[in-house]
Amino acid sequence: MASKETILAKIKTNRPNLWPLPDVPIFETSVTDKKNLFIQILERGGSKVHCIDDSSQIHQVITTHFPENNRMVSTLPLLEGMEGITTLHPDFYEGTEVAIIEGLIGVAENGALWVTENELGNVRVLPFIAQHLVMVISAKNIVGTMHEAYKTLGLPTTSGFGVFIAGPSKTADIEQSLVIGAQGARSLLVIVTP
Amino acid sequence: MMPHAQKAAIFNKDEARTDWHDASLWMVRNKRDFAVSEIPEWEFLREFASDIKMHTLSKLDDYLESFEKAAIQNGAIVHWAADAKEHNDIVLSILNKHQAKKMVKSKSMLTEECHLNEFLEQHNIEVIDSDLGERIIQMLNEPPSHIVMPAIHLKKEEIGELFHRELHTEKGATDPQYLTEAARHHLREKFHTAQVALTGVNFGIAETGEIVVCTNEGNADMGVHLTPVQIHSMGIEKLIPRRSDLAVFTRLLARSATGQPVTVFTSHHKNPKPAGEMHIILVDNGRTEQLGKPDFRSSLKCIRCGACMNTCPIYRRSGGHSYETTIPGPIGSILTPGIDLKKHGQLPFASTLCGSCTDVCPVKIDIHTQLYKWRQIVSEAGLPEGGNKTMMSIMGSSLASPSFFHRLGNIGRKLLRLFPGKERFLSFTVWTKDRDLPKAPVESFREWYAKQTKDGQ
Repeated sequence: MASKETILAKIKTNRPNLWPLPDVPIFETSVTDKKNLFIQILERGGSKVHCIDDSSQIHQVITTHFPENNRMVSTLPLLEGMEGITTLHPDFYEGTEVAIIEGLIGVAENGALWVTENELGNVRVLPFIAQHLVMVISAKNIVGTMHEAYKTLGLPTTSGFGVFIAGPSKTADIEQSLVIGAQGARSLLVIVTP
Repeated sequence: MMPHAQKAAIFNKDEARTDWHDASLWMVRNKRDFAVSEIPEWEFLREFASDIKMHTLSKLDDYLESFEKAAIQNGAIVHWAADAKEHNDIVLSILNKHQAKKMVKSKSMLTEECHLNEFLEQHNIEVIDSDLGERIIQMLNEPPSHIVMPAIHLKKEEIGELFHRELHTEKGATDPQYLTEAARHHLREKFHTAQVALTGVNFGIAETGEIVVCTNEGNADMGVHLTPVQIHSMGIEKLIPRRSDLAVFTRLLARSATGQPVTVFTSHHKNPKPAGEMHIILVDNGRTEQLGKPDFRSSLKCIRCGACMNTCPIYRRSGGHSYETTIPGPIGSILTPGIDLKKHGQLPFASTLCGSCTDVCPVKIDIHTQLYKWRQIVSEAGLPEGGNKTMMSIMGSSLASPSFFHRLGNIGRKLLRLFPGKERFLSFTVWTKDRDLPKAPVESFREWYAKQTKDGQ
């Protein structure tokens, strides 16, 4: 505890005079077609996007994209032939070929999708450990900017972990050459429902 | 230690490689420019970011206490470390408590600053850096040369050779896709067998006690979610007051760093996972000292995007290792003299003061002004700057005396006419090493002016 007191005392002595905290406006985007921008930015970042008219088509879109009968883990209800969350032990999910989860908010300006541990069935590692990731989002939940996203999110009262995911995992650590599929999912398929 | 200029000279010996390094970073700078151009309110965002950070610094003690309170309520264990040693001891004690011998780590400049890896290895802990670039340089036993792209100085052939040796990839294989795939398999195994994961922190939220980590590879999350114990090492200046402030900073960070609209993963860690343990270590290590320096405290606003490095003509042409600091480039050159003036006092001179760093800084740190101010302090402290000092004193006395200036000008012009081309008589300064002086004019402005007035014009 000694260091805490020392650090705080030093700050009290050394800190500058009170600087006002600004109110940050929402900066609403001027783009009218947020869904279109969202799709465009996602595709630019190496994701695939598939729009459907009815949620009942989700299953078909997934099997079209992943025709092999591989291990699929879904936290969405009623997806036939797929595995649900059966244990919270994270290592159990190694070998998951495709994980299917719901995104709560989509951000048009950067293609990011918000998901919390609730949508992951409390298996936080799921979107990272799976070889491929599918995220389902309703077009109604696409906002313009990060300001709008955080305004919608408010404070985290119901979950202990949340993440914005904006594409497949990637790296450019070798000579600045972009490689899709670093340590996390190798691909991201976003299914946009009405 | 070798001065920056000497190290840069060695770096510059391989001209093709220097050009390649320069171009790689300039490409990132260009990507940044494009990403920035997509945000009409960019300049407002920079201003807001700067004000939010300055406000936080002006109440840092209050915010740290709020943060700690919220984090404890969330179930995290909060530690305070006055310096690097205390930080390292805390990490070791957590590892010992769990009898852990293997730790995966994602990118954290703070742990580089604390030399955590060396410390833990001395205590027989296996540390695995899991970011691809970090893993590469860890295998090479080198420090990172850039804070966002740690292995930017290496060629794929060198990495191919390294991976052939360490990961048994095919000899001569240099394809980045293939090499990344090899690292992916190698690291997956590590994530599953490590007992503890450590990450750095991009932002700490005072109102919620959350810590936010921004990454692209997914390695930080793989580590944190697969191991029972998670540790987050955080410099005390990483705090921001409100969760909504993240909107400002996430919009600025990746655009400035790599030109992406946002990092692939922006992870918000609030509570430990079920049956897991979450530690947050708040580290001072000189930050409160810097806070007490009015001219330099705004350097604590830094969000470690690396934009100042990518744009710096000196960094691009001298490489990160030439700085011999954890954080190289312009921002490093204003952060480190305060830690050890004698050791790092030469770094503020590794700049052209062109101000490009200040222009691209997303939190509006006046980097080049601070570089200039550090120079004053270094000069006043009487630290040697070799030839430059001699030149500066000659310049000083000649500019202070019109007649001396006049005479010196005459001598100079004569010498230039007698020995055109390479000015060997100036070899005591490095100035003429790569520069030709212009052709000497026949007369000085003063002589020309005197003639004009004589002619009655």
